[in-house]
Amino acid sequence: MQAKTFTMADLVRYALAIALLILFLFPIYWMITTSFKPPPDILTRPPKWVFEPTLGNYVYAFEERNFALFIKNTLIVSLISTLLVIVLGCLASYSFARYNPGAGHLMFFILTTRMMPAIAVIIPFFVIFKAIGNTGIGEALFLGLDKQGTLVICYTVFNLPFAIWLLHSFFQDIPVELEDSARLDGYSRLQVLRRVVLPLAAPGIAVTAIFCLIFSWNEFLFAFLLSRDVASTITVGVATFWTQRGILWGPLSAAATVCVLPMLIFALLLQRYIVRGLTFGAVRG
Amino acid sequence: MDVTVPKTPAVGKAPKRAMSDTWYSILLIAPAMVIILFFALFPLGYAINLSFRHVDLTSAVGIGPYVGLENYRFALNDKFFWQAARRTVTFAVFAVSIEMVLGVAIAFLLNGLHWFRGVVRSLLILPLAAAPAAVGLVWRYMYHPDFGVYNAIMSILGLAERNWLGAVKLAMPSVIVFDVWQWTPFVALIVLAGLQSLPKEPFEAAELDGASTWQVLRRLTFPMLAPVLTLVFVLRAIDAIRLYDAIVSLTHGGPGTATETLTYYLYRLGMKFFRLDQASAISLLFLYVTVIFTGLVLRSMMRTQAERARRA
Repeated sequence: MQAKTFTMADLVRYALAIALLILFLFPIYWMITTSFKPPPDILTRPPKWVFEPTLGNYVYAFEERNFALFIKNTLIVSLISTLLVIVLGCLASYSFARYNPGAGHLMFFILTTRMMPAIAVIIPFFVIFKAIGNTGIGEALFLGLDKQGTLVICYTVFNLPFAIWLLHSFFQDIPVELEDSARLDGYSRLQVLRRVVLPLAAPGIAVTAIFCLIFSWNEFLFAFLLSRDVASTITVGVATFWTQRGILWGPLSAAATVCVLPMLIFALLLQRYIVRGLTFGAVRG
Repeated sequence: MDVTVPKTPAVGKAPKRAMSDTWYSILLIAPAMVIILFFALFPLGYAINLSFRHVDLTSAVGIGPYVGLENYRFALNDKFFWQAARRTVTFAVFAVSIEMVLGVAIAFLLNGLHWFRGVVRSLLILPLAAAPAAVGLVWRYMYHPDFGVYNAIMSILGLAERNWLGAVKLAMPSVIVFDVWQWTPFVALIVLAGLQSLPKEPFEAAELDGASTWQVLRRLTFPMLAPVLTLVFVLRAIDAIRLYDAIVSLTHGGPGTATETLTYYLYRLGMKFFRLDQASAISLLFLYVTVIFTGLVLRSMMRTQAERARRA
């Protein structure tokens, strides 16, 4: 390959690229800087670009709103639902990739459930969980309105179709010959799955898990409508700073930063696979 | 782990097969299918049932008697429903087309970068990963007529300051701008991946034949990109008609009902006024339209994409 020289066209390209990055990253920059602004500097006209940074907004968010609880809830709900999705998703997806039950129709049915507008099923969900909440099962499994188990189920149901599709594309990459020769060596089908297929699919499983974590962490509709305060997650927590008496911009920015930053880091980890994930495995980036 | 592995089945005996492939495959998908079927079909049945009854949780009626198609009649004659539907379509058409045009342009730009392409690409991912419910609220602050940074920039540029989310005519375009900010990178990244996976040979041949840039784009690049472009378009369209988080965090459907999309209207009708019957009827109409649209369009596309990917 010949060495590339920097041409006039490149200059234009890089100028445009930098402009684009500024446009797309500015809101994130503004969120982070606002979160460190002292309260008087937040309500100024025009806004201040230079200020004395303070942690006051974070302190307020954690002391006044029990943000630690929201984070704990989010972690519990996202981790458990991701674990469930991965276990169930791997089994189903491997079966689809290897044996194709339902001749493709079932896979598409699963995809369409993911494309349902969540708001269209929220009323039955609301009624069902309200009813379960008053029973012994509800008590035992943390199901009901404003309980973490409810959100675990919602996120599992909504991430499972995604995981099945994405994992499917990874399972398909594993050559069938490897499985066949393991079978010839006397491995049982479950041993093939556990010792040959799953280790080979490990990167794909990790990628799928991170995507599910991001989706659960960022989810808002179910959390907002099915929890009040005990089971509220972080996105709902951020919204609590929009109060009856106005919006508390400083703590809100701090809360939003706490909500958004970890996912930005996760997304950077995923970047090689981001296109594949975002297209449910259809486009390999 | 020390599991004894039989080397060969005993001679003379038929190999012991615990289960046929069919049963094994069904067993593997069963747990996932039970969950999906239960939580997809049961709510659906429940909603269908409610949509044929009179239900008003705010009055003594509660879950009342069957009223036939009354709720569907209400839905089809409901002015607010049609307005919300029209707004949803307007939002989707504008947001998705702007995102497609910008995204494709950005993909071409990135494809032309020789250095730092990876860095630019990874930084572009960031808006995608931010929870819309959280950044939406930050955008509300940035749009603030007095303290917002956008008006500050407008005045630096010598332009008139505006009430971005507060003016009836501007609110929807402002929501669209937010959506464009968040989702244009999605289009750009996928189209870039599509561009980078195009085979080199046809382009080299075209260069040898002295084809102009425009001819190459029109005859080669875009036809070959078509499947990826359609897929991105459909995925974006499905998301756009389900827009909810951004509306809650930016405008609460306001001012008035200027940004009240279908999802937000359903939320108001069902979860605020507790008219579960009418909300169910509208939900189902909404659901049918989305599912039919999704089913028809995605079906063939995902299949061809997956085929291509496997062969590549």
